Amino acid sequence: MSALPPPPPPQWVVALNSPMPRPSKAANSIPDPPGFTSSNTRGGKQRQQQDKQQATRPEETDTLKLKKAWEIAMAPSKQLPMQAIMMYMSGNTLQIFSIMMVLMLFKGPIQGLINTNAAFAKYETPTTKARLVGVKAVYVLMQLLLFALGVWKVNGMGLLPTTRSDWLAWESERQPLERAFFAFK
Amino acid sequence: MRLQAALLAAACILPAAAIFSDEVNHIDFHHALLGAPSPDSTFFLKPSSASNASLLYTLSDKSILGAVNPRDGALVWRHNISQSASPAGGAGLLRGLDGNNAVVGAAGDYISSWGAQDGKLIWDQQFDGNTVADIELLELEDATATSDTRDTLALISGKSFGSVRRFDGDSGAVKWEYIDESGDIPFQVSSSPTEVFYISLQSGILKSSKIKVTALDPITGRQTSQQVLNTEGDITGPESVLFVGANTASPLIVWTDKAHKSIKINVIGSKKISSLAIDNTSGEEIRQITVHAPHKLNSRPHFLVHYKTGSGAWAEVYHVDLKSAAVTKAYQLPYLQGQSVIATSSIDANVYFTRVTDSEVVVVSSASHGIIGRWNVDASSADYAQAAVAEVVAKGKSVAVRAVVLRDSGDWQLIRNGQIEWTRPEALIEAVAAIWVEAEEKEDLAHELEVEGHDSIHGAYIHRVKRHVRDLQHLPDWLKELPQRIVSSVLSDEVTNLDSFGVAKPVVVATRSGRVYSLDTGRQGSVMWSVQASEQAWDVKDITARPGQVIIDLSDGSYVSINASTGESFTQPPLEATNVQSIANFVVSDGSSLVRLGAVGIREDGSPVTPFNDITGFLVTTSANGRVLGWIESDNKTPVWEFVPPSGQRVIKATARPAHDPVASIGKVLGNRSVLYKYLSTNLVLVTAVNEKDHVAGFYLLDGVSGKVLHSATQAGVDPTQPISSVMSENWFAYSFFGDAIGDSSAKGYQLVISELYESSIANDRGPLDAAGNYSSLHGSGTDSLPLPHVVSQSFMIAEPISHMIVTQTRQGITTRQLLCTLPSSNSIVGIPRPVLDPRRPVDRDPTSAEAEEGLFRYAPFLDFDGKWYLTHARDVAGIKDVLSRPTLLESTSLVLAYGGDIFGTRATPSQAFDVLGKSFSKLQLVLTVVALTGGVIFLAPVARKKQVNLLWKAT
Repeated sequence: MSALPPPPPPQWVVALNSPMPRPSKAANSIPDPPGFTSSNTRGGKQRQQQDKQQATRPEETDTLKLKKAWEIAMAPSKQLPMQAIMMYMSGNTLQIFSIMMVLMLFKGPIQGLINTNAAFAKYETPTTKARLVGVKAVYVLMQLLLFALGVWKVNGMGLLPTTRSDWLAWESERQPLERAFFAFK
Repeated sequence: MRLQAALLAAACILPAAAIFSDEVNHIDFHHALLGAPSPDSTFFLKPSSASNASLLYTLSDKSILGAVNPRDGALVWRHNISQSASPAGGAGLLRGLDGNNAVVGAAGDYISSWGAQDGKLIWDQQFDGNTVADIELLELEDATATSDTRDTLALISGKSFGSVRRFDGDSGAVKWEYIDESGDIPFQVSSSPTEVFYISLQSGILKSSKIKVTALDPITGRQTSQQVLNTEGDITGPESVLFVGANTASPLIVWTDKAHKSIKINVIGSKKISSLAIDNTSGEEIRQITVHAPHKLNSRPHFLVHYKTGSGAWAEVYHVDLKSAAVTKAYQLPYLQGQSVIATSSIDANVYFTRVTDSEVVVVSSASHGIIGRWNVDASSADYAQAAVAEVVAKGKSVAVRAVVLRDSGDWQLIRNGQIEWTRPEALIEAVAAIWVEAEEKEDLAHELEVEGHDSIHGAYIHRVKRHVRDLQHLPDWLKELPQRIVSSVLSDEVTNLDSFGVAKPVVVATRSGRVYSLDTGRQGSVMWSVQASEQAWDVKDITARPGQVIIDLSDGSYVSINASTGESFTQPPLEATNVQSIANFVVSDGSSLVRLGAVGIREDGSPVTPFNDITGFLVTTSANGRVLGWIESDNKTPVWEFVPPSGQRVIKATARPAHDPVASIGKVLGNRSVLYKYLSTNLVLVTAVNEKDHVAGFYLLDGVSGKVLHSATQAGVDPTQPISSVMSENWFAYSFFGDAIGDSSAKGYQLVISELYESSIANDRGPLDAAGNYSSLHGSGTDSLPLPHVVSQSFMIAEPISHMIVTQTRQGITTRQLLCTLPSSNSIVGIPRPVLDPRRPVDRDPTSAEAEEGLFRYAPFLDFDGKWYLTHARDVAGIKDVLSRPTLLESTSLVLAYGGDIFGTRATPSQAFDVLGKSFSKLQLVLTVVALTGGVIFLAPVARKKQVNLLWKAT
């Protein structure tokens, strides 16, 4: 009586253990289901890059980071001439396009100002923190410049309550202390 | 702000909304009136021999000659012939003939012939000082065969002579004249187929007169015979002759003895007088006898005598024998209680009499007493029928009749075969006062809201919850009405029913004769009720509306209170007999509503009848001797100030701002967005004074509290006989006059001057008072006393006189105002938009861009009334004395009512109807679109969902 050899593993075990067959060309074009990201290939590359960067020296990274941060801080100023031209060209009439452009103009600086810290979070390390303050200040200044452009435009459109007529509705009629009645006919 | 400025500019540039043709008779109504028709001068007539259609012609007691379409009661044409005639002279005369294309009317010393179909003048004649006593159209068969127009015979009565003239029908040239200088009273003129009769009254002894009949040759006018009828004792004057037959085959003279025992008849041309006993079976005294005879030459010589007693009437029909001139009684129409009027009509030779009584309309033939047509109709009315005219049409054996009943008040009613077809309220022509009715229930809600406003927050909340719970009892009714309301709102012609916004308010109109009418302005001004509130003519001084009632103040200090929905009236006699010249109403504006504090009568000398101690304020009055007086509440003997215009000028008119005159903005925004502050005071008075000798008119702006003159303008070369009108509103006033050219730079013509008042000439400056919240006209010392306004004026030349000016009123005063001007010479009302009348319009240069942004455009000295400005559009609105305006709940809309002659009502939308959906908007279409879209979404949603899922899975 010899012991029987163990039964062959079931199909699913074989499939589990053996590597996946190379997908056919047709199957390759099936898109991933929503929410699935195939990170096996690209993830690997990124990891390699990070490994490379970590390999460089900390001083170099800091200068690099600061350089990047300056780039970000000066980015709004590049928009400035273009926006100014656009605002000038769009005219001071109240139209849907000029209003939308002005709104976009305001949206950018306000968002930028709110996200000041977030914008520089990547470059913030204990070593660069002190040096980033100046960069942030320049960034804020640039955003304010853009904002000022918006204010200039809004003023040009007459939407700022800067004149006497804007406050006329809050002024009241002078009331007489005496009252006269009339009987003419 | 720029947005507001842009909107303002848009409002300025856009012309005032013209009336669209589909709005005519929907937003406006017009009663084109003639006045009470005089029974002798009202008749049916076929104006053209080619057509069988007839028109109804009349001459009213206001000397307005007109033609009315009998089908719908619409006016075809009218002319006021009293304008050219001297005011003297009693009732006018109007004559017409079938197939003749002219009707001839006379009033006073003026006789005129008008085209019967189109109302065009054919000829007219005026006899200075002499009056036209009678006119007849000569119905000779051969004399004027060449022309359609018959010649006219007129009897002209002078101081010491009578003159019969024959005027040519086409030219009005006198063909011949017969002058009677015997000193008899010229009475009537009549004609038979062969002769013209001149009938005069020869005065005899003891005030009685004889009738003298002079026969004239119709071709030459020479006297052919003369006879005097022995009528002494019966006739005392023209009023005792009942009838002088006109153009019948056998013209008659009818009179009675003084006791109404017998009736005497003379066939003109014969000497014979037939005397027939009056068979009075009613047992009552005969009040009135009228004779009805056909007016056609070929009619049978039959006539009817109608006897009226205090409570009933009967009639007798007589036949005349042409050969023997004998008069025989044919038959009698029975005595009936109530009102009864007779009308005569003829078809060819047959004569028909139509009798209209309280309950029926009866047509009889003159030949026999058989009734050939009878219709039951409820024509009874407290307003008694005075006379009737009828037109009978024979259809085989049966007849159809349309009868027009003229009532005592002057109303006309057309009854066609027993159906009342239309009623013309002619008494409205004498309207002296009018007002919109205030609804009753509104006051309750206002009171409740006031309670809530003054309570604590907690208390007010509980009060409101309680009120809403109480309102729930109306819920079942509301739910019941809901489906019907939805259906009607979807299907109705008007997009939104605006009645609940106060645009269809009833209006109460008081006429000079003591009648009061209520007109439904929502339904073409139809009469809702009418009452005789006063038996005789009254002198209405003021009319005011209280919730649910209307109060009419009279000159003797009494007042009449009228229920606005039923017309029940109640007269309150005066506490003490006083003669009131005007009524001072103490009304203050509280938000968008007016609050009445009281009223006091003003005597002729301008003094209040009683002190008005319960009112804090000053009173400004005008006196009959041409001054303006200021009064304090405690003293009604001596005024606190008196304004006497300089150098022989007399105050002819004073105006103030309307009681409801809300100001939306206290300043005017300029193009550079600075503000020019308006000079606003509720106490301003604009006084117009005229020196009739030197032709100078002064316009003075007074402060009503202190009497201080704030501004004055003097115009030389003003014609005081032409209308001078003035109006004031907000911070501006306007006046109009006829100015003669006196200097090189002045112009001759009608002028309209507009002046605006500002606190300062400098923008953004509020003058010496600056930001002070109050000011006093009396106690100011230096800095806070009432400063003088900065006045900007501009003058425009206009083409016509303006007899009356008023400003449209809206709820909050946001809407641009319109200056409503009554133009008497073109019978219209024009609404001039205020932006056109801006005194800041640049002169002799084009506006700068800032000015253009403000809506200012270059000044042009001649102001041409744009056709779109006419509120009356194509209508001929004549005789307007007064125009009223009142706000509605819709800010865009102002109600306008004009009265005095015609009655005209409309809705003015000076800035277009910006808060009302237009007629092109269709609720049904909107609902259908929403339904279709919903259906589409429901149907397509699963399809789209499936497609999206498939897209994700089946991507290739």
